[in-house]
Amino acid sequence: MLIAFRKYSMILWLALLVSDCKKPYDPPAIVGPNNYLVVDGVINTGPNSVTIINLNRTRNLNDTIVTGIPELGAQISIVDRNGATYSLIDSAGKGLYSSSPLTLDPAGQYKIEITTSDSRQYRSDFVTPNATPPIDSVFYEQPRDFTLYLTTHDPANSTHYYRWDYLQTWEHDSRYQSPWELRRGQVWAKDPDSGSQQTDRCWTTTMSNTILLGNTTALSRDLVDKMPIITMINNDLRLDIAYYILVRQYALTKDAYNYWQLIQKTSQQVGTLFDLQPTQLTGNIYCTTNPNEPVIGYMSASSIQQAHFYIENYQLKAWPHYIYMEGCPTHEARRLSPDDFHSWLYPDTAYGPYYFVSNGPLIVAPKRCLDCRSQGGTNVKPSFMP
Amino acid sequence: MVRALHSSLLLIPLIFVLQTAHGQDKKNISGNFTGYTFPRLVDYLEKNTPFTFYYDPKEVDSIFINIQVTNASLRQLLDLVFQGTALHYAIDSSGRVFVSNRVTIRTALPPGFFSRDKDTIALIKEPAEEDNPAQKTKFKASEEFQLIAVGDKNARSATGKATLAGYIRDIATGEAIVGAFLTVDTPAVSVVTDQFGYYTLSLPKGRHHIRITSQGMTPTRRQIQLYSDGKLDINLKEYVANLKAVVVTAEKTSNTRSLQMGVNRLSISTIKQVPAAFGEADVLKVILTLPGVTSAGEASNGFNVRGGSVDQNLILLDDATIYNPSHLFGFFSAFNPDIVKGIELYKSAIPEKYGGRLSSVLDVSMLDGNNKKWTGNVGIGPLTSKIFLQGPIKKEKTTLVLGLRSTYSDWLLKNIPNSAYSNSSANFYDANLRLTHIINSRNTIYLMGYASKDKFNFNNDTTYRYSNANANIKWKHFFSPRSYGLFTAGIDRYEYSISDTRDSTSAFKLGFDIRQTYVRADLNYNPGNKHSFNYGISSIYYQLHPGYYDPVGPHSIVVPDKVGSEQALESALHIGDQYAVNTRLSFSAGLRFSLFNYLGPHDVYGYAPGQPRQINTIVDTTTYGNNKVIKTYSAPEIRLSARYNLPGEASIKFSYNTLQQYIHMLSNTVTVSPTDIWKLSDPSIKPQSGDQFSLGYYRNLQSNTIELSIEVYYKRLKNFLDYKSGAELVLNHHIETEVFTTRGKAYGAELLIKKTTGRLNGWLSYTWSRTFLRQDDPLAGELVNKGKFYPASFDKPHAANLIGNYALSHRYSFSLNVVYSTGRPITLPLAIFNLGGSPGLYYSARNAYRIPDYFRTDLSVNIDGNHKVKQRFHNSWSAGIYNLTGRQNAYSVYFVQENGLVKGYKMSILGTPIPFVTYNLKF
Repeated sequence: MLIAFRKYSMILWLALLVSDCKKPYDPPAIVGPNNYLVVDGVINTGPNSVTIINLNRTRNLNDTIVTGIPELGAQISIVDRNGATYSLIDSAGKGLYSSSPLTLDPAGQYKIEITTSDSRQYRSDFVTPNATPPIDSVFYEQPRDFTLYLTTHDPANSTHYYRWDYLQTWEHDSRYQSPWELRRGQVWAKDPDSGSQQTDRCWTTTMSNTILLGNTTALSRDLVDKMPIITMINNDLRLDIAYYILVRQYALTKDAYNYWQLIQKTSQQVGTLFDLQPTQLTGNIYCTTNPNEPVIGYMSASSIQQAHFYIENYQLKAWPHYIYMEGCPTHEARRLSPDDFHSWLYPDTAYGPYYFVSNGPLIVAPKRCLDCRSQGGTNVKPSFMP
Repeated sequence: MVRALHSSLLLIPLIFVLQTAHGQDKKNISGNFTGYTFPRLVDYLEKNTPFTFYYDPKEVDSIFINIQVTNASLRQLLDLVFQGTALHYAIDSSGRVFVSNRVTIRTALPPGFFSRDKDTIALIKEPAEEDNPAQKTKFKASEEFQLIAVGDKNARSATGKATLAGYIRDIATGEAIVGAFLTVDTPAVSVVTDQFGYYTLSLPKGRHHIRITSQGMTPTRRQIQLYSDGKLDINLKEYVANLKAVVVTAEKTSNTRSLQMGVNRLSISTIKQVPAAFGEADVLKVILTLPGVTSAGEASNGFNVRGGSVDQNLILLDDATIYNPSHLFGFFSAFNPDIVKGIELYKSAIPEKYGGRLSSVLDVSMLDGNNKKWTGNVGIGPLTSKIFLQGPIKKEKTTLVLGLRSTYSDWLLKNIPNSAYSNSSANFYDANLRLTHIINSRNTIYLMGYASKDKFNFNNDTTYRYSNANANIKWKHFFSPRSYGLFTAGIDRYEYSISDTRDSTSAFKLGFDIRQTYVRADLNYNPGNKHSFNYGISSIYYQLHPGYYDPVGPHSIVVPDKVGSEQALESALHIGDQYAVNTRLSFSAGLRFSLFNYLGPHDVYGYAPGQPRQINTIVDTTTYGNNKVIKTYSAPEIRLSARYNLPGEASIKFSYNTLQQYIHMLSNTVTVSPTDIWKLSDPSIKPQSGDQFSLGYYRNLQSNTIELSIEVYYKRLKNFLDYKSGAELVLNHHIETEVFTTRGKAYGAELLIKKTTGRLNGWLSYTWSRTFLRQDDPLAGELVNKGKFYPASFDKPHAANLIGNYALSHRYSFSLNVVYSTGRPITLPLAIFNLGGSPGLYYSARNAYRIPDYFRTDLSVNIDGNHKVKQRFHNSWSAGIYNLTGRQNAYSVYFVQENGLVKGYKMSILGTPIPFVTYNLKF
């Protein structure tokens, strides 16, 4: 019997495993600058309607800004088949270009033309408007969590492809409500006549941040039944007091639907357990100055239907009004002179007056806990809130 | 007077004293020597001429003299006598005639003899044979130069043809030798032994000379007198002296003469020469050095052949299908080198008995085992330990091969001062068993079993497990010497799982498994040398569990999920013929008819006709019962090849193949990873099909020491699957909504230059190849790359490999391995956008960019102990450096979101020079 005895050296595995093998990978292609134009909007073919196009630019993978970079100073116009043009103006200087109220012929064909401030020209394909059927109903169910649903149908059975977005507004309070404010470094009672602003109650409005799509091609009727629009888990602060949502419905062409479906996928892409196949977007907007320059966005034309919904906390089942105190420590502040009720000494300027203890010190709290605007939103009640 | 002398004794001492002796060779011999034996002729000559003869009677006992001469010189007479034999003679100045086998005795020193170095002397003398001259002489004398009578001497007819058949085996171990060449010059016939070392030769009755060559074995020859059909088993001796030179003899004939094209055959000894990381010979790593074979990167599972995907390779271990051929995510191959006998990789002309995959067939054969004595191996290392045993349970009847390999690398990981490693564990084992039982000369039973298991856990995180389990039984039966059948039944199983139990409420196990049961009958019939028929039938029953997701432990709130199991039956009939038209032209034609039935129980989703396959276009669900045929696909497959020998050692070969594939691997990564899913063709997912044209030119130069081959190919693929944007494959109940079919084309040229002998030997291969896909699925719902061709994710245009061995002397040699390939394509995220309120990643066109090119150099030095065969201890050292230049080749490139930013990382493993030392001691 032949026996072979083997020995391997083991230096190697150590060398292999200890060496740091992860290095940043920044090939020239991703270092950029990859600032491609993003055209976000719909040509609104409803009667007497305003078309709003949001023009912004993509950012590099390691740019720290979180939203798109607004593209300012561009000229945008809607052009129909007959050559009639309708300009859009960025009146606020935020990259939001709006038309004057227009009544575009729903039987026409429209495209968008853009000239950016650096004289680069872009245009979309001509698109045929889709008539968006009205939203039948918006309603909620709350077994425990809250879900808002939408139902719509097209009696003509011709829409098939839908997209929704929404604007939601919720009321929220500051952590601590205080009748006092600092004016010129002194503590005074709040007084609207003196220009005081209330900081106890705010309204925050945000836009939907997911892509909502519907497709009825597999159904015998063009009916979208009980499409979930938004779900909030129980105790979600948005339903703490009052909540308002405006849901907008857009009819899409099949190609536009497919495009939005890809956007939907790529927005879910980062941070999942398993790598997903990268998404490739091919829209209908092109750079005519440089045909190889990518442009992001898909131009559609349709009328826009909308429905709103309002609910207050008391209407919900077991949705406690939740007061969130964490991170709001209070301290006592010393009066500067026994005669001066307005002057109090607290070295940390991040703190503001909360309440007085009878014949005692002033209790101060962090200003962000006294002002609801620190959580976002505005302290002016929007007109649409009941 | 007769003086017998051992041939080997003649060699050295006499060289120094012999002179040529033309003067004495007068033309004075006349007579009729018909019917003389050689000793009788010598007797006559010694009496009538001044010559004295020295010879070994055993070497001349097959010589039958049938000569009449008048006034012939001794040289003329002996030339006639020895014509057609391997015997040589030499006459010195003293009138002594030396008859030798095979080697011509020099009666004078060659010019410049004393200025030659030692190595040259070593080449003149037969190396390593002085150890046991008696044994060697006996071996040669008794077999090489005996006239062996085959068949029945009293056969009625002495004319016509008869069949000679038998086994070619290793004399030391009894191991069958696959791919050995048997060549007869008149009529010019050459045949190759099959997977059992079996051959059949049809020859005219009468006397023949057969040359037998095989890789790694000493060439030999047999003289036969063929009377009627008969059997001749031939034992070959391993070529001991110079391992590097071994490869030579074997392949020089096969390269240009073999009918097969696009096939690479490597023996384990060749595989063991290639420097490997950690000194462990690796079958898969060596395959990657062959032209036309690439991999996704370092330590990756699987390989790509001629622009095919990883799942298009059928990997067989003794007819068992291995679904995952790697351990430790590709660091080791699943094949324990101890038990491997050799490999064959078919890249273009795939024999008709194989099917079910589009790109290639890798056939790894296990050792049959030593049927003469028990031998073994014990290997102990810091990472793996091995035990290997082979031997006869019953001598020359029942043979066992057993190999076990296991790791215990955990302790090493624990000692690394980095918590990510010390909290990790990685281990695997594999076990091989093979039993051969010869019932009688007509019936042999083979039993094989293979099991492997891998477990890997990184930083106490997710645990990955996968395992292969295979077993089969084969019965080989001879109906006649010209016809035999091989009947196989077996079962293959592959499964993987991922589990994470760190958090008791979310503890889960996710897994997948595949099981196939198969039967096949392969029959072979050789009516003559011109034809060789193969035919057979096979059937595979698949059972797949495409995914389950289960809670682990009592506190887990994971909701179980299970994707419905899949069943199918894949059957095939095949028939093929190899037809040698003449010595120059031969054809091989085969037809395979494959039939695939997708079977219940299964729920099949119906999609709205003409609409993209998406979840929201599902219109109905049809439930099929047990074994109910849901969908049937069938297709004929054509396998054609032809060879034409050109003057000189050159040939041209052509082949055309069509293939079908009914099982698909779905993967978001380029390599085989434990999260890959195998999917059967179903009503929505059509079988992949492909065809390939290839043309090759083969030429041997410098008296067969340099082999040159150029092969070009063009492949077309149909219904190859690629993934929709954002495809999710794991636990997907309607995976057809995530894939689309493509049409593909692949083309390339492969160049191989191989120097087989000399101090410097090795091979250089260069491959230029491209693979493009184009979406061809109206129901996909999106148009990838605007419907234009894009490079496949395994498209690597340039690949070059150099394997070089340089022998400083018999004891010291260097091996060098250089690998280069273009980086594989990648789709890069280029920017982040916000659209419709939602952020998203903007990606480049599919596979528009490439990761950095791959380059690696390995060097090793081999130091052998002395070469004496009969000694107690044999030792050898092998030391080297893997990745000499320390290039950090990209193993994977990935992007993650970190603090709101998307960051790209390049991961490289083995990115530093890694020294290794291997010490072998045999006793």
